[in-house]
Amino acid sequence: MHLLEVENLTKRFGGLTAVDNLSFTVDEGEIIGIIGPNGAGKTTLFNLITGFLKPDSGTVKFKGEDITRLEPYRIVNKGIARTFQVVRPFHHLPTIANVMVSLESPRGSRKIEWVKSPERKALELLEDVGLTDMMLEPAEILSHGDLKRLEIARALATDPELLLLDEPFAGLNPIETDFLTKSVRTMHMDGHTMVMVEHKLHALMKLAKRVIVLHYGAKIAEGKPEEIAKNKKVIEIYMGRKA
Amino acid sequence: MTQRIRKKLATRPVIILIVAIVAILAAASTWWYYSTPADRALALTKIRSITIFGLLAGGAYALLALGFTLIYGVSEVVNMAHGALYMLGAYVFFALTVSFAPGEMLVRFEPVLLDLRLALILAVILAAIMGAIIYRLVIHPIMGDLLATLVATIGIGIIFQEIMLIQFGAHGTRRVAAFVPGSITILGESVEWNTILSFALSLVFFIGLWIFLSKAKIGKAMRAIAQDREVAMLMGINTERLCMLTMAIAASLAAVAGIMITSARHAYAYPYMWYAPLYMSFAIVILGGLGSIKGTFMGAFIIGYAEIAVTFMAPEVVFLKDAVALGIMVLVLLIRPKGIFGKRIEMEE
Amino acid sequence: MATYFRRVYLSFAEHVLDVPPRLLASMIFLILLAYPITKPPLTILYVLSVANIMAIFAASWDLLVGRTGQMNLGHALFFGTAAYATALFCKFFNLQLWVTIPLGALIGVSVALIIGFPCLRVKGPYLALVTLTFPLILISVVKYFREITGGEEPIINPRFFPGLPMYGKQLADYYLTLALLFVSGVILYKIANSRMGIVMVSILDNELASKACGINVTKYKLLAFAISGLFGSLAGAFMTHMGSGASVNYNTYLGVALSFQAIIIAIFGGVGTIYGPIAAAYILVILDMYGLGKIFGWFASNNLIPASIIQIESSMHWIMYTLVIIILIIKWPRGIGRFTTDKLKDLQEARELEERGKHIWKTYKRKKEESEHASTRS
Repeated sequence: MHLLEVENLTKRFGGLTAVDNLSFTVDEGEIIGIIGPNGAGKTTLFNLITGFLKPDSGTVKFKGEDITRLEPYRIVNKGIARTFQVVRPFHHLPTIANVMVSLESPRGSRKIEWVKSPERKALELLEDVGLTDMMLEPAEILSHGDLKRLEIARALATDPELLLLDEPFAGLNPIETDFLTKSVRTMHMDGHTMVMVEHKLHALMKLAKRVIVLHYGAKIAEGKPEEIAKNKKVIEIYMGRKA
Repeated sequence: MTQRIRKKLATRPVIILIVAIVAILAAASTWWYYSTPADRALALTKIRSITIFGLLAGGAYALLALGFTLIYGVSEVVNMAHGALYMLGAYVFFALTVSFAPGEMLVRFEPVLLDLRLALILAVILAAIMGAIIYRLVIHPIMGDLLATLVATIGIGIIFQEIMLIQFGAHGTRRVAAFVPGSITILGESVEWNTILSFALSLVFFIGLWIFLSKAKIGKAMRAIAQDREVAMLMGINTERLCMLTMAIAASLAAVAGIMITSARHAYAYPYMWYAPLYMSFAIVILGGLGSIKGTFMGAFIIGYAEIAVTFMAPEVVFLKDAVALGIMVLVLLIRPKGIFGKRIEMEE
Repeated sequence: MATYFRRVYLSFAEHVLDVPPRLLASMIFLILLAYPITKPPLTILYVLSVANIMAIFAASWDLLVGRTGQMNLGHALFFGTAAYATALFCKFFNLQLWVTIPLGALIGVSVALIIGFPCLRVKGPYLALVTLTFPLILISVVKYFREITGGEEPIINPRFFPGLPMYGKQLADYYLTLALLFVSGVILYKIANSRMGIVMVSILDNELASKACGINVTKYKLLAFAISGLFGSLAGAFMTHMGSGASVNYNTYLGVALSFQAIIIAIFGGVGTIYGPIAAAYILVILDMYGLGKIFGWFASNNLIPASIIQIESSMHWIMYTLVIIILIIKWPRGIGRFTTDKLKDLQEARELEERGKHIWKTYKRKKEESEHASTRS
C-alpha cells in the first residue's frame, strides 16, 4: 500500500486549470521532488493534499484512507505536515512557543513524554534545526532563514509520517542551504517520508530519489533525477525551444 | 450534506440572489394560492404594493449604504461615523429650511429659511468638508489598525450625537421638510414624490459612480488604491488625497441619503438617529460584500424587498421590520460570510 | 536540568507575555482588601465596586479580542443577557441571588456559544460589524416581550444581603466584587498564559498556520467565546444587584456605550495583557465617575480656573471624554498601557545591555592581563 496516493486530482480557478488530472504515488521512506516552472500548480497541489483547498475531482488517499474531503487540521492529525512557501510564523509568540503550538494538537500531544514537558520537546526540536539561541525571542525578529527552520520545527512537532516541504530552500544562503540539506537527510533517516517542491534544482537533485515534473498542472515527466535532467521536454519547459 | 450545499452556495453568488427573489415570490404566491377569491384581489394588491415599494425602499437603502461601501473599498476603513454623517445631512437641512425655536444652543444662529434645493446643496457641501476633515485628522493616522479606526469613528459618531443633542435637544420635534410635496399614483398605488425622488437619486448616483470609477482618471486611481494601496503609491498616486476625496464623496452620499430618506418618511431628526442607518448599512454590506458596489446595490434591494414583504404580508409583526435586516445578515454569515460579491480571502492572508 | 527549564519558562513569560511581579499584584490586592478600614464614604465604595466589575468586563473582552483575535464590538451582549436573566429569575421565581447569578452566567455562556457559531467563519471588519449588532437584536427581543421584561421600564432588583444597613450593603457589594475580580482575574490570566493561551495567540497571529499545526481552530475559538462570555456574564449578573439603583434596563446594560467602554478600557491598559485592562478599569472608572468632577471642582474652588468651565464641562462631559479618547487613540493606537510597557521594556533592555557590556569589558581586561602576565613570564 502506498503511503500517499493522488488520483486524477483536478482543480480549476474560474477558467484556469491549476492542477490537471494529476496522479502519482509516494511510498514510505521516499524523498520525492516536485519541480516545474512557476505557476505549474505545485503549491496548489500541496494545498489540495493538505485540505486547504478542495479539488474539483479526484482523490487523495493517505495510508489507504480517503482524506480528500477532510479539514486541514484533521489531515495534520493523521500524519501529514507541511511548511509554507511564504513563512507564516506566529509573530507574537517566542520561537519556542511557536513549536509548542504544534505540540498542543491531538497528534502532537499524544506521546506521553511530550505532554509531560512540551517545553523540553520543543527545545529538542529547536536543537535539531539549530534555533536554540533564539529560543525566547519573539518570532517576529527572526531572519528569513531562521523562520524557514522554524517552519520545519513546527511541522516536525506534529510527529508526521509524511512531510510536505514547500520551497524550503528559497531565500537561503549557501551555509543555510548546506545545513538544511543535512537536516533533510537526518529527517529522512529518522523515518520521515518527504515530498519537496523546490526551484533550486541542484539542492533538490541531491536529495530526491524520484522527481516529478509539473507543467500547467499536469505531470509531464517522472523519474530519477539524472533522467529528468536529461529529459528533452523538461529542458524545453525550463529553457524554451531552440528557434 | 449541508457542507456541500454550503459550498455550492458559496461559490455561485448569483444563486443566492435568485434564491432570495424566488423565496420572496414563492412566499407571496403561496399566500395568494391559499386565500379565497375575495382575498385574492387583496393579495394581488399586496403583491403590487410589495413590488413597487420594495423597489423604492431598496433604492433608498442603496443610497444609504453606497458611501459606506465606497470608503471601505478604497481605504479599507469601516466608517462607523457613516450614520453620523447621515444625521448631519438631515439636521443641517432642517436647520436651514425650517423655522424653529432655538433653545439653549451650543452655537446660536438665526434659523435661515432657504430654498430646499439650495439647502440640500449646502448640507451636502458641509458634509463633504466634514468627511474630508474627519479623514485627514482622525482616520489617516491610524489607517491600518482596524480596532483603532473602529473606536475612533464610533467616537466621532458619539461626538456628533452629543453636539446635536446640545444644539437641538433630544425631543423629536425637528421635522425635516418634505422635499417635494404631494404624491402620484403609479399602477394604482399612491406613491409619494419624495420616495420616488430618493429612488431616482440612488440610481443616478449608482450609475454616476459606476461611470466615474470606470472612466475618469481619478476614479480609476481610486480603484487602483482599492486593489493594492502600496502599489498605487508606487505608481505615483497620491493615496492620501484620493482617500480624502473618497471620504468626501461618501459623506455627501450619506448626507443626501439622510435628507432624502428622512423627508420621505416625514420623520424627525433626533440625536440618536445615527444608529439605525449604520446598522442597516452593516446588514446591506455584509449581504452584498464589503467594498463591492454591485453587491451593495443587490444587498440593498434584497433587504428592501424582504422588509417591505414582511410589512405587507404580516402587518401584525411590523415592528419586527428591523429584525428582518439583521436576521438576513446572520443567515448570510452562516452560509456565505463574504457576502454575495465580497472579496474571497481564503488562502491569501 | 530542572533549574534550566524553570529559567526558560520564567524568562519566556517575562519577555513576551508581560508577567507583572506577582508580589506587586498581591500587595495591591491586600491594600484593596484592607481599604474599607479607613471608613471611606459610600460613593467611593460604590465607585470601586463598579471598577471591579468593569475590570472583569474589560479583561474578559481582552481574552477574546486581544488574545484570540476575534473582534468583538458587542461585549455588552453577555453583560446584559446575564443581567436580565438573573433579574427575571428573581422577579418571577423568587430565587436567591446565589442561584440566579450562576444561572444568569450559564445563560450568558450559552448565548456566547450560540453567537460563536456564526462568528467562526467571519473575520476582521465583518466580525466587528456583526458583533455590534448582536446586542441590538437582544434589545429588540427585550422590547418585544415587554410584558415580561418591562420593555423601557427598568426591572428593580434585590441587592446582596438586603437586610444590612445602607453602608453595610455597599460594603458587601465591594467585597463581593473584589472577590469576583480576584478569582476571575487570576483565572483569566492563567488561561491566557497557559498552553491554551499559546494556541489562542497562534489563532490571533496566523489562523491558517495554526490549522497547519493540527489545531482545531473552531474548538479554540468557541472556547474563547465561552470563557469570555462566562466572565462578561458574571460581571453583568453581579452589577445588576449592586448599588442603590440595582436595576436592569437595556440602555445601560445592552447599549453600544457599554461595549465601547470595555474596548476603551482594554485599549488604555494594553490589548492582550489581561492585567492591563484590569488596571486601566480602575483608573478610568475612578476618573470618570468620581475624579473628573472632583478635579475640576478643586481647581475651581481654588479659583485657578473660572467657574464657568464647570458648567461647560457638565453638559459637554461626553464630548470632551470622547474627544480625549479619539486623540489618545490617534497618538497611541496600541494603547497607552502597551506604549508604556514597551518603553519600559526598551529601557530595561538597554540597562541589561549596559550590565552585560560592563561584564564583558571586565572579562576582556582580565583576559588581557592574564595574557600579558603569561607573555612577561615567558
